[in-house]
Parts: sequence; C-alpha cells; structure tokens
Amino acid sequence: MPLAGQLSSSLLAFILPVSLIAFWQLSGTNGVIFGGALPTPDRVWTAWVNWAFGTPTFGLNPYVGTWLQNVIFSAERVAKGFLVAIATGVPLGIAIGWSRLFAKLVDPTIQWLRPVPITAWLPISIAIFGIRDFGAIFLITLGAFYPIVINATQGARAVDKNWIRAAQMMGASQAATLWRVVLPAAMPSIFTGLRIGLGIGWTAVIVAEMVAVKSGLGYVLWDAYYVGRMDIVLADMVSIGLLGYLSDRLIVALSGWLLTWHRLQSFNQ
Amino acid sequence: MGTVEFAGVSKTFGGKTVVQALAEVDLRIGEGEFVALLGPSGCGKSTLLNILAGFEQLTSGSVRFDSRAISNPGPDRGVVFQEASLLPWLTVWDNVVFGPKVQGVARSIYEPKAEAILKIVGLEGFKKALPVQLSGGMRQRVGIARVLVMEPRALLMDEPFGALDAQTRLSMQQLLLDVWQKLKTTVLFVTHDIDEAILLADRVCVMSARPGRISREIPITLPRPRSIDDLTNPAFIQFKAAIMTEMRGAHGAH
Repeated sequence: MPLAGQLSSSLLAFILPVSLIAFWQLSGTNGVIFGGALPTPDRVWTAWVNWAFGTPTFGLNPYVGTWLQNVIFSAERVAKGFLVAIATGVPLGIAIGWSRLFAKLVDPTIQWLRPVPITAWLPISIAIFGIRDFGAIFLITLGAFYPIVINATQGARAVDKNWIRAAQMMGASQAATLWRVVLPAAMPSIFTGLRIGLGIGWTAVIVAEMVAVKSGLGYVLWDAYYVGRMDIVLADMVSIGLLGYLSDRLIVALSGWLLTWHRLQSFNQ
Repeated sequence: MGTVEFAGVSKTFGGKTVVQALAEVDLRIGEGEFVALLGPSGCGKSTLLNILAGFEQLTSGSVRFDSRAISNPGPDRGVVFQEASLLPWLTVWDNVVFGPKVQGVARSIYEPKAEAILKIVGLEGFKKALPVQLSGGMRQRVGIARVLVMEPRALLMDEPFGALDAQTRLSMQQLLLDVWQKLKTTVLFVTHDIDEAILLADRVCVMSARPGRISREIPITLPRPRSIDDLTNPAFIQFKAAIMTEMRGAHGAH
C-alpha cells in the first residue's frame, strides 16, 4: 500500500473514537444525556494529569501523583500470573495434545473446572491467600491458564503427521520430536491462547484488586467510585484499556518476530 | 548393506470397513538396487514403503532390512515425502542439518557434508531461505538433501516428484539419476508415472489394487548412466509398451 493509502487507512481508525469522545464532551457539557453523573472528557483528562504528574502531598488525596505506582502494581501482578499460566499451560497443553493417555487423565478435569468463572474463585482465593498479592496472581494465572492450555492442546494435535514422521526418520527421539517439532508447530496456536489469556489476565487483576488487594488500578477504580471521584474512575478505565492494548501489541509483535514462517505461509495461500 | 526383504507381507486397515491394503507381498531388493513400485493410487505401494520406513506396522509377514526386523523409523532409511514435508519454521540449512544435529553428530563432521550436498542439489545460495520462500522443486531438493546428509543405507521415495510440474519433474529426475549413479544407495521409489519408473529403476514392480500385490516384476536393462534423453529411446518405448500392457491386464482383472 502506498504511504498516502496507509496514512488515510490509519486515520480511518480514529474517526469513531474521536466522534464518540466529541459526542460525550458535548452532551456532558450540555447535561443532556448523562445528567451530570459522568464527568466530561476534559475533566477526566485534567484528573488524569493530576493523578499521573501531580506532586504527592501529605494530605488525604490519594489521586495525586500515584498513577505510575498503581500501573506498576497491576502490570507486575498480570505479568507474574501470566508467566505462571504460560509455564504451566503450555507444557500441559502440549502433553495433552501429544499423549492420548495424558489427555484421558487430565483433560476431563480441566474441562470440568473451566466453567467455574474466576470471579467465583474469589472467596476461596481470599480464604487461602488472604488480602495479599498471591490471591490476585492466583486468579490471573487461573484465568489465563484455560485459553493457553486449550490452544496449546489444539496446536499439538494439529501437527502435520509427516513432520513428526520426518523427524523420527531423521533420528529424533521422543523428547527431541516434542521440543523441535511439536512445540514450534504448535506456536501459532499457542500465541492465539496467549493473546486471549492475557486479556483475561487484565480482567482478573481488576476484579482481584477490587476485592482482594489494597493497591493497583482495580483498587483505585473501586475506591474512587466509593468517594464519588468519577473522573478518576474514568481515567482509570482508560488506563486499563491502554495497558491491555499495549500488552496485546507486545504479544503480537513477539509472534510476528518468532513466527515469520507462519506469516509468510498465510500470505502465500 | 541396504538389502530389503519383504516376505508374505499383508496389511489390513481396521475401522468401519476393513480394507486389505496389501496381500502376501514378497519383494527382495539387493544392495545398491533401484526398485520402482508402480501402480494406480490405492494399490498399497505407499503402505509398503511406510512399513519399510517403520511408519506403519504390518499385519502379518515380515520385513527385514539388512537382515534385521524393522520396529521404528530411523536414519538408516531416509524417506523423501511427496510434499517434501520440510519443517517450515527452519531455514533450508537447519532443515538439512536437522538429522545429524538430533543424532548428536559433531558440527565439524556434518557441516562440510551439508555444504557439499547443498552444492550438489544446487541450493548453496538458499541456506537462509525458509521453505515457504522456495518453489516446489527447490523444496524437494531440500527434502532429498536432508536425507542424503545422513548417508542412509536405503532411500525410500514416496512419489517425490508427483506434485511437480512436468519440466521441474524432468530436471529432478535427472538430478536423482546423477546423484544415485554416484552414490549407488539402495532405493525404493514409489510412483504412478510409468516413464519415471523406467527411467530411474533397475527393476519395476507393477502393483495391482484391492488387495495390493505385486503383479509383475520387470527388469529394466537400459544401460547406465542414463539421462532424460533415454525417454525417447526405442528400447525405452518397448519397456513402456510392455508395462502398459501389464497394467491394463492387472487393471482389467479387478
């Protein structure tokens, strides 16, 4: 696509959000639609700037200069929970996809547990881990685990039979076949699972922080609501969305770099 | 080295309808012999190759490779697949050195071999390319190279040129003739292309279907070295006529 075309197509993406924000601003200012319950975008922006860059004082206002700190709290929890989910979900999924015995042994249990929403795990998580980081990380891991394990299973099952035959013919052991053929072949599917899992991880961290921990964007969200700071609530929501979007872009970039072969293949077909 | 002996090999595929793919097949392949299995699709020729490769188990009978029973696939029997079946995430170079690498061969030993073989198949300039960036013929050159680098005692080729266009197929046949005439490895070559079978093989085994069995073995006495120019040779045409008659007969009987 020529540069001008690229530019105009990326401009297209902004039409809808810009119109929505403009509509929100105008209707809010005139008090027509939201009846004054929601602050307008300009007030949200001011609140965010203060939250992010204001100098913290010894006063009671927790919404000055604490944004980055809370972002780091939440992001760190998501990262930890997500990494544990990858470390458990990928090997387990590959094993289920590779071995019929293992599938029969483990897969039904996963399928029975999966319909229990992560929110339903909250009380148990608090009972076991208390109001601490572990509870939040547990929920994130659990939420991200299911899509990762299912997609890894799917990927391992869909490996071209002749790739495995070829590897064995070339003298690859069972372990080498898993590591050098099944895992790379399952990668595109695994990355699908990672993207979905990471999204659920962000949902989980907000829920957990609302209830089970006393810091992070989820905690601020609920706390600000209680004290009637809807401008902070909205700024918080936008921050969560932005972080979720950026972390997803990171995964997409990583997959683009790792899975060049797969991308080229899809383009060729 | 590289002798093959199928004795009374039968293979039945279970399932809803039981299919007898092979019935009492006997076939011996001598050291350094090039044997082509020729037949229509569904005659069990690929099944026979897969059993020798160790990919499939036989139902009854026995298969021996260098007098030993076959249990698993292994680098002593290099298989060239119809669609090359390269590992698409590996470069040409990594595909070619995959075998020696997983077998724990020292880099100093396999690297010069791989270099030499890539030169023979004319891909020395494509080491860093991914399979998806190559044409079908080039991909199959890699498929052959990754097997040759292991120096197998037998080459098992399952319609390796079946998916290529006519011109590429000719150049691949010439390449295989050149390589084989130097190496003299035992080859079992599965094809449904009569010309290809005659051009390449010392012996053509015509197979018939349902149940799959070898209906006739025809020694091809055309002198070596051969080239694709032999395709229009009168002696070649005679072999072709004989095989066509045989195939028509085999087909009519079922």
